[in-house]
Amino acid sequence: MRQQGVTDEAFEFEEIRQRSLWLDAFERLVRNKTAMMGLVIAIAVILAALLGGWIAPKDYLKTNINRIAEPPSNDHYLGTDLVGRDVFSRLLHGARTAVFVAVVTIVIGNAIGITVGAVSGYVGGKVDDFLMRVTDVLFSFPDLLLAAFISATVRNPVVEQMSKLRAATGWAVLEETIYIDYLILFGALAMVNWPGTARLIRGQILSLRERDFIRAEIALGVSGWMIVRKHLIPNAIAPVIVGISLSVGAVMLSESSLSFLGFGIQPPGASWGNMINSNLALWRIYPWLVAIPGIWLAIAVFGFNFLGDGLNDALNPRQIRR
Amino acid sequence: MLVYVLRRVLLSIPVIFVVLLITFTLGFFAPGDPLKIQFDQQQYQTDPVILARLRHLYGLDRPFWVQFGDYVWSLMRGDWGESLTQGTEAVWPQVKRTFPVTFQIGAAATFLLIVVGIPMGVLAAVKQNSWVDYWIVSFSIAVRSVHIIVLAPMLMIIFVLWLGVMDTPVGWKGIFHTNAIMPVVLMALGPLLIVVRQTRTGVLEVIGENYVRTARAKGLRERRVISGHMMKNALTPVVTSLGLISSGLVTGSLFVELIFAIPGFAGMGIAAFRARDYPVILATTMVAATLIIVANLVVDLCYGLLDPRVRFE
Repeated sequence: MRQQGVTDEAFEFEEIRQRSLWLDAFERLVRNKTAMMGLVIAIAVILAALLGGWIAPKDYLKTNINRIAEPPSNDHYLGTDLVGRDVFSRLLHGARTAVFVAVVTIVIGNAIGITVGAVSGYVGGKVDDFLMRVTDVLFSFPDLLLAAFISATVRNPVVEQMSKLRAATGWAVLEETIYIDYLILFGALAMVNWPGTARLIRGQILSLRERDFIRAEIALGVSGWMIVRKHLIPNAIAPVIVGISLSVGAVMLSESSLSFLGFGIQPPGASWGNMINSNLALWRIYPWLVAIPGIWLAIAVFGFNFLGDGLNDALNPRQIRR
Repeated sequence: MLVYVLRRVLLSIPVIFVVLLITFTLGFFAPGDPLKIQFDQQQYQTDPVILARLRHLYGLDRPFWVQFGDYVWSLMRGDWGESLTQGTEAVWPQVKRTFPVTFQIGAAATFLLIVVGIPMGVLAAVKQNSWVDYWIVSFSIAVRSVHIIVLAPMLMIIFVLWLGVMDTPVGWKGIFHTNAIMPVVLMALGPLLIVVRQTRTGVLEVIGENYVRTARAKGLRERRVISGHMMKNALTPVVTSLGLISSGLVTGSLFVELIFAIPGFAGMGIAAFRARDYPVILATTMVAATLIIVANLVVDLCYGLLDPRVRFE
């Protein structure tokens, strides 16, 4: 009877410990008001991206020379731009661009970064030295300059390859040049995105490998897979999640600023950045055409940054915030 | 120390060479023929004979290593080549004309960072967890989310259209003209977050140290304790992040020059990237690489200035 009670207790204790990592983090996140505000904004932006084509009242590409630069009205909720396109529909499409680019870039960048970081951390030696020198070189350039440089140099080769591919296959999809803009953006932004993740993962693996609790498990004879699954992954994954959530806002800003400089999404494709740029020349006459996409961009980035900071606090409770 | 500086300068020559080689290779193999781009832009009929003759004239038909060697050789003699787009203007005068403009704005922004950012960081640390700290930290985080491309038009709308306190700040009329205020402030705002946060961390790290307590116990005024005793050690994190700060300033100058139509170095670089103007791209990359190397050298020398234990060998 007594024996039974002890095992029950131990069982329950085990249960609580198992779910505590994520549940605790979730509870800390819910209690954080700015993070919750960020979450609401993030969900709104993602919904706008997913359902944008469906909600949008007008075609975002359709121009109308008779109704240029109209202020907001019932027909066009946020007015029309300099060639008579519906600003609200373009904003929704810009949300799609921002989220799409952010998601794909982060997936590619993290895939490269995690692989390189893991290899660097595990193999060590000359491989580690070489890979870390590569990240050093990439780090020494300002991110945006590097992305602009890549975008400028690879555009023509990519365009050429795409037209060859179209000639060979006859796919109608490839006729839309805007896909090329997206492709180049993914490549350029992933290129500046991966070194950070690689460093992070490498550091995690190096420090975890030497920790006492991992050594104790090896000494106890726990199987390698068990150590990886139960201890290495849960311990290494939190900084990655934080890194990803903090980089969403940053990538969105990079996408908009590259498009603003003319190295990202080219008009008539819609990006918040190129919407600001193409209306900037006439800001004195039509200030709202610049202000509206600007405010959207600021709010979206605010939301994702708040959420990222909240996740950081929730997943790193040991970190002392000073 | 002179030996140290000299050795660092000599060591940086191969680095610049490698940067040149990489840029040159990328420019060479990216098959966007600069002449063809130019013809397409001006919508001329491209006559292959004329094109071939022009390629020969610019030396674009020679093998890779010959072109690269030729370029490095003429670079060493002070000939930076001719721009392919700016009416074949020589590159060096362009650099000489645009660089001081960007440098002045950058220097003014750096000055602003020092006289605003560092005191803000110190104030936030000294009044830790008070409303002053809270507001300073939130303000610098807010600046991170609102990019120059949003802030610049919004500030222009507010100050020029609504309040009417200034004229449209377009063009370059010298660093002391009112037109320069907005570009300088906007350029400084980006790296402000880094400076404030690093200063705050630095001060918080030393604020509980024994020597600070001793200084207070001696009866020094708080101001003297901060400026004479805490600052030197507290500034180390700021100096460490100087690389990030200068990269923020460079990025800022790209947008500022584009938005306010300032004829600066960054704007020239961007225009060259767009037009694939190789000689100008190479020149901008090289000047930028040199700047980064000089900045790193200054950082290392600053460590010695802040911490007398650092030795240059």
